[in-house]
Amino acid sequence: MSQEIKPGEVLLELEDVSLSFGGVRAIKNVGFNIKRGEIRAIIGPNGAGKTSMLNVINGFYHPQEGTITYKGVHRKNMRPYVAATQGIARTFQNVALFKGMSTLDNIMSGRTLKMHRNFLWQMLYYGPARREEMQHRERVEHVIDFLEIAHIRRTPVGRLPYGLQKRVELARALAMEPELLLLDEPMAGMNLEEKEDMSRYILEVNDEFGMTIALIEHDISVVMDLSDRIVVLDHGEKIADGTPAEVSADQDVIDAYLGVAH
Amino acid sequence: METLYNIFIDPFVQMFGAPDFLMQVLWEGFVSGTLYALIALGFVLIFKASGVFNFAQGIMVVFAALTLVGLYSLGMPAYVALVLTIGVMGLLAVSVERLVMRKLVNQPDIILFMATIGLTYFLIGLGEFIFGGEPKKMIADELGLPGGSMDFEVFGGVLILENRDIAAAVIAAVLVAALWFFFSKTRIGRALRAVADDHQAALSVGISLNQIWAIVWFAAGIVALATGILWGAKSEVSFALQVVALKALPVLILGGFTSIPGAIVGGMIIGLGEKLFEIYWGGLMGGGVESWFAYVIALIFLLFRPQGLFGEKIIERI
Ligand SMILES: Nc1ncnc2c1ncn2[C@@H]1O[C@H](COP(=O)(O)OP(=O)(O)OP(=O)(O)O)[C@@H](O)[C@H]1O
Ligand SMILES: [Mg+2]
Repeated sequence: MSQEIKPGEVLLELEDVSLSFGGVRAIKNVGFNIKRGEIRAIIGPNGAGKTSMLNVINGFYHPQEGTITYKGVHRKNMRPYVAATQGIARTFQNVALFKGMSTLDNIMSGRTLKMHRNFLWQMLYYGPARREEMQHRERVEHVIDFLEIAHIRRTPVGRLPYGLQKRVELARALAMEPELLLLDEPMAGMNLEEKEDMSRYILEVNDEFGMTIALIEHDISVVMDLSDRIVVLDHGEKIADGTPAEVSADQDVIDAYLGVAH
Repeated sequence: METLYNIFIDPFVQMFGAPDFLMQVLWEGFVSGTLYALIALGFVLIFKASGVFNFAQGIMVVFAALTLVGLYSLGMPAYVALVLTIGVMGLLAVSVERLVMRKLVNQPDIILFMATIGLTYFLIGLGEFIFGGEPKKMIADELGLPGGSMDFEVFGGVLILENRDIAAAVIAAVLVAALWFFFSKTRIGRALRAVADDHQAALSVGISLNQIWAIVWFAAGIVALATGILWGAKSEVSFALQVVALKALPVLILGGFTSIPGAIVGGMIIGLGEKLFEIYWGGLMGGGVESWFAYVIALIFLLFRPQGLFGEKIIERI
């Protein structure tokens, strides 16, 4: 069984993780941890292996080597279903929404694991299954208010502009009430104002709900502002790990990452 | 001139000259239409959830009907046999999910399609082994499907509705409506649409692909059983019955492979269209129109609207 992790203790520990696709070594012996309650940034140039790292954490990719310890449970790899049931939610670099569904339905899908009425009840739909749906609607409305997307509640998400799609994706992840939230470039392609909004949401989620966040982001100023600790990857290797101040003073990072134009 | 008259004017003159007969034709088209819609739904559900064109849908119809008749012949009451057959279809769904889908997840769609062909031959073999190859009689009376017919006075003529056709249309319509409701209004339905839209995102919110697949295969199994009973009652239960499932293909091309309303509307268009065409234009072409009409309509659709009436995207997956 997973154990209770207090704020400041290690929530997730990756040890010596290596992942390759055929000949491509995407991650090479990388290890780092994420502590409960922190905002942990993962940065690095294009192709550094950041997204692959998130995919390892939520079980989309199974590393050939290394271990993942989440909430005290030691594993060779995660499975997406287990990750979700254990409180890991995520967003995707290239928005992955259910395009045919409304904003509301997309966010409601985040409640999947919180709903318990079984198959038969749902067939009948009315009665308890219906009541359960209503309770979850309420929680979802909170998320909608928080992210200020009430006006697009009924809009099919495929029709929304990119910035709003990203926000709906965040809403879906928040609806899961996760313990660990993985964000893959949540501000990519956004204008300044949208970025500021998104930064504010991330900080509030972290502050008010104590949600632990792993954040991949290319915008260095955003990363420096938001994160408690930063791990830097380059060509699949970890080249630095520390506070924003430590990392920005690191010569390897300056050479490999900050020197590279984006 | 005369040909043009025969094609464009005469059929309508006939239709409006004898509206009671037109009603009869429309009714018969409607009955087939509901059954086509039902069969097409079986395909749509599985296609939506997994992107797989289930070649085995036809043999599932035969297998379900054979199981029902076979269980009944062991001496149990018809309704008990029916419930047990539903159980068998559930077992089949779970087995297919465990032994086929789960093993082949992440393989290209064509591999999964091939797997359903494999499944088809497996079920043919299993069916023949257990039940033998000779045709059997559907236990329609035993299941309480009514016989006889009802006459109605319309437009100064008589409209004859076979009670069994009425029952078939009602059962098919209720089943179609129930499936539509289930998959569009409930949480499982939302999960199914989520899986259809984006596998990875669905996984990330904790939707279990395995569970969804088992459910859609079970739904397809129920549809197959209903088709087997209703169609079997019209003719007989034999392996030839699997060709009725072929009729679903033009329906799907019309309605789109991913659309539940599409399956319903497509089924109606084909059902009504082929009956009308057979009766009023068939003579011009020497009859036998029903066997090819649906495919020609489908072909025309493929040329002009390959995504179907309601389909979301071009079918590139089969
Ligand atoms: N599914 C896959 N199949 C094959 N190669 C992959 C796959 N996923 C990632 N890679 C490879 O792994 C390496 C790391 O990719 P990854 O997407 O993790 O980088 P990233 O740091 O997220 O880059 P970016 O900033 O561009 O998003 C790349 O060389 C990429 O081509
Ligand atoms: Mg990436």
